[in-house]
Amino acid sequence: MRLKILKNLIILGTALLIICLWYLQCVENERYKILSQNNRIRIVPLVAPRGNIYDRNMNLLAGSRLAFDCAIIPQEFDSESGQLGALCLLLGEPLEAIRDIINKNTIAPFAPLTLKKDIGKETAIKISEKIVDLPGVIIHTYPARFYPHANACAHVTGYVGKINEDELSVLRDYGYKMRDVVGRGGLELYYDDYLKGESGGRQTEVDSRGRELRSLGIKEPEKGLDIMTTIDIDLQEYASSLLEGLRGSIIVLESETGQILSMVSKPDYDPNIFIYPDNSLQVKRLLDRKDYPFVNRGISGLYPPGSVFKVVTATAALELGKIGDDERLNCNGYYMIGNRRFNCWRKKGHGSQKITEAIRNSCNVFFYQLGLKAGPDALTDFAERYQLNLPTNIDLPYEKSGVVPSGSWKRRFRKEAWYKGDTLNFAIGQGYLSLTPIGILKVYNTIAQNGYLITPIVVKNIGNVDVYNVEKSRINVTSNTFAAIKRGVGMAVEDENGTAHRAYVGGVDVAGKTGTAQTGAASTHAWFAGFAPNDKPRIAIVIFVEHGGKGGSIPCEIASKIFTKLKELEYL
Amino acid sequence: MYRSEYRRSFDVYLFVLPIIIFCIGLFFLYSASRGMQEIKGINFTARQVTWFFLSVAIAFVVANIDFRRFLDWSYLYYFLIVALLITILFIGGARMGAKRWLSIGGFTLQPSEFAKLALIMTIAHYLGNNRYSSRSIKIFFSALIMTAFVFILIFKEPDLGGALALLPILFAILIASDIPLGYILGSLILGVLSSPLLWYVMKDYQKRRLLVFLNPNMDPLGAGYTIIQSKIAIGSGGIFGKGWMSGTQNQLNFLPERHTDFIFSVVGEEWGFVGCLLVILLFSLLIFRVLQVAGRTNDYKGKLVVVGIAAMLSFQMIVNIAMTAGFMPVVGLPLPLISYGGSSLITTWIAIALVINVDMRRTIF
Repeated sequence: MRLKILKNLIILGTALLIICLWYLQCVENERYKILSQNNRIRIVPLVAPRGNIYDRNMNLLAGSRLAFDCAIIPQEFDSESGQLGALCLLLGEPLEAIRDIINKNTIAPFAPLTLKKDIGKETAIKISEKIVDLPGVIIHTYPARFYPHANACAHVTGYVGKINEDELSVLRDYGYKMRDVVGRGGLELYYDDYLKGESGGRQTEVDSRGRELRSLGIKEPEKGLDIMTTIDIDLQEYASSLLEGLRGSIIVLESETGQILSMVSKPDYDPNIFIYPDNSLQVKRLLDRKDYPFVNRGISGLYPPGSVFKVVTATAALELGKIGDDERLNCNGYYMIGNRRFNCWRKKGHGSQKITEAIRNSCNVFFYQLGLKAGPDALTDFAERYQLNLPTNIDLPYEKSGVVPSGSWKRRFRKEAWYKGDTLNFAIGQGYLSLTPIGILKVYNTIAQNGYLITPIVVKNIGNVDVYNVEKSRINVTSNTFAAIKRGVGMAVEDENGTAHRAYVGGVDVAGKTGTAQTGAASTHAWFAGFAPNDKPRIAIVIFVEHGGKGGSIPCEIASKIFTKLKELEYL
Repeated sequence: MYRSEYRRSFDVYLFVLPIIIFCIGLFFLYSASRGMQEIKGINFTARQVTWFFLSVAIAFVVANIDFRRFLDWSYLYYFLIVALLITILFIGGARMGAKRWLSIGGFTLQPSEFAKLALIMTIAHYLGNNRYSSRSIKIFFSALIMTAFVFILIFKEPDLGGALALLPILFAILIASDIPLGYILGSLILGVLSSPLLWYVMKDYQKRRLLVFLNPNMDPLGAGYTIIQSKIAIGSGGIFGKGWMSGTQNQLNFLPERHTDFIFSVVGEEWGFVGCLLVILLFSLLIFRVLQVAGRTNDYKGKLVVVGIAAMLSFQMIVNIAMTAGFMPVVGLPLPLISYGGSSLITTWIAIALVINVDMRRTIF
């Protein structure tokens, strides 16, 4: 019977159908269950605001503000109607530009598409008020980093950025995730672990349009810890303004505690520009600059110190008894080694001087002789006693340790023997010696504190817990030596004809030493390092100006202004 | 109104089974359209119930007029349908890129649904009239051409599913008729061999659907989206399902077209394999009852009509479920009695009424 053929065909089709359904629903059930769960459940990350960074008077240096992005869900937004025009008007963007973004960047009809980043609070409120008339428009709110003092504090605070692949591969084990924000320099980097907080997340049920229907669970984000620094932002701003247009660094230190009051490096940058990828061009321009605005010259720059180093030579000679307090040496303007002539900076010479006078005069010939008396090994030894070959361990990233030469150093790195001339250069802070400004500052602060080596620090309080702890160790030098040097550096500022006299401030007993370092180029690096008051120092400071001419002019003038400001701020 | 011997030979299952299937369908339509109702402001369930009563009323009338009197007018239906299909090609309202609907007084009709019935009756009538020259190849070809004409018109709308549904109807009737099996087999082989030609006349979206069927992940957010989501819905239902009104794929709007062509994915998700079996079982029972009618009727034309209807129902049931579960390309066929839509419901009930009609009048010979 022909009907039977039909019947069998239908039975066959139905049986196949049932087998297929059984396979889909019973055998592969687990797989599809997971797929349907993934469809339905979305983890919405809740970004933890980073901890704030404050100065010593609780002025904000780095904080988080609420940022608003304007986005649309393409399938719900009718870009052909008047809605787009209305939205553009609110955003203050030309219609064409927005249409362009929509055409180019749409990924999927349900995936939110950001039209404009950081639209500002007023615009965000305006759009929110009209959101009923603008279906498919969403305002995305998140904490964004901002730095109210912008450039002035850039090298201390550092900046933040979205984690990149290299960083992620290193930091993944420490709980960092894609799209996390990480510190990139300064305190943001050094204390990232404390500042970053812990991101939370919300597990929500969503519909096919990604709309959140109900919350299934929530883990609140934990804000990062606030950090209180030792910086005084008023002084910082002031110091920054003094160095404006120059290249160099100013570091001001509370002498007894090692707390940094101010640390300026120029040229600088605005850490606020790294928040958005839109600024990539600006960032690239900054990165391409030949004068390295990202380098914190105070701790990462190595420079020949010049005459500011002479106090180390003096320490060595005095300590080893190679010269007495009242012993005189003569300077007639030059010194001969064989037939090679080493000049003093003053052609007609300084005549007969005691060591304090030589420090005041910054006499090269005197220190040549002192260096020869002490010998190169002693110079190396005392430079190392001042820990110039080590980093100061300040709590900032990328600190460099100084290069302190020695006979073995020269043989190893320059494949040459150590000559007498090297000793002369070493004695006046030239030649192979190259140091960081903070290294120099440490030397002068050690002198100020009569031999206590104090670690400089920037942060004193993390999350309301005091982390400040003076790390002191004693340098193996007698107090007589320091007394003599202090007299010398006091005279350098106080005496009318002292080399650092321009740093003089009435009513403040400033002591200091200038440096004018040969660089091989035409212009010299200019230094000033010192402390005040001389009898019981409370402040130590170093000023370095790259290619700044003579140490006696610009750095001393800056020092004078800073000491005046310090007095005004009652640090002196 | 109708004679008592008719009433005695009335197979109550032919009436009750469709109502059970419809009621189950109504549950799922309610579940599927709950979310959409708020958005579109249309109460799909209430509308479907209205369609149901209209359909049953029409079916009541159809059942009580001798089917032979209907068949006498077959050619008229055929020409009416052809005229309608041609009209629709020019003035039909487009929905989702296809012109399938015709608006009449606020209702939209889908003539391709009625075309199936018209074709069944026309072919049955034609073959019945020429029963004694069944061996003539001319008769066979005439039947083929009659079908091909409607096929092309529906295909042009374009409605691949609607067009393809005509083929099993034709061949089922041919198989049940006295036409030599050799002709049928020969034409089938020829058809299979020439099917690649179809590729050249398919619309882009139809080609895409076919390609996407072969690899849904080719376009997971576009054409493949429906298949993927529907498969996920049915697959995640498991043996017992997630419970009525609790299917996440359904309730959270991941399933497009779920109140019409893809309603079976809601059944699969919310009632699981057990629910699917139940629905398929009920359909199978219905179809076998219909085939029984074909077997016991003495009227040649009536038998052919009933066989055509059995083929229509089974093809739509199998193809719709198979495409919903991703075993077949998406062709756009409603699931009879369950998918939302007036035209489909009326067509199905008229078909059922015709079967009852034939069945009740089997004894008068």
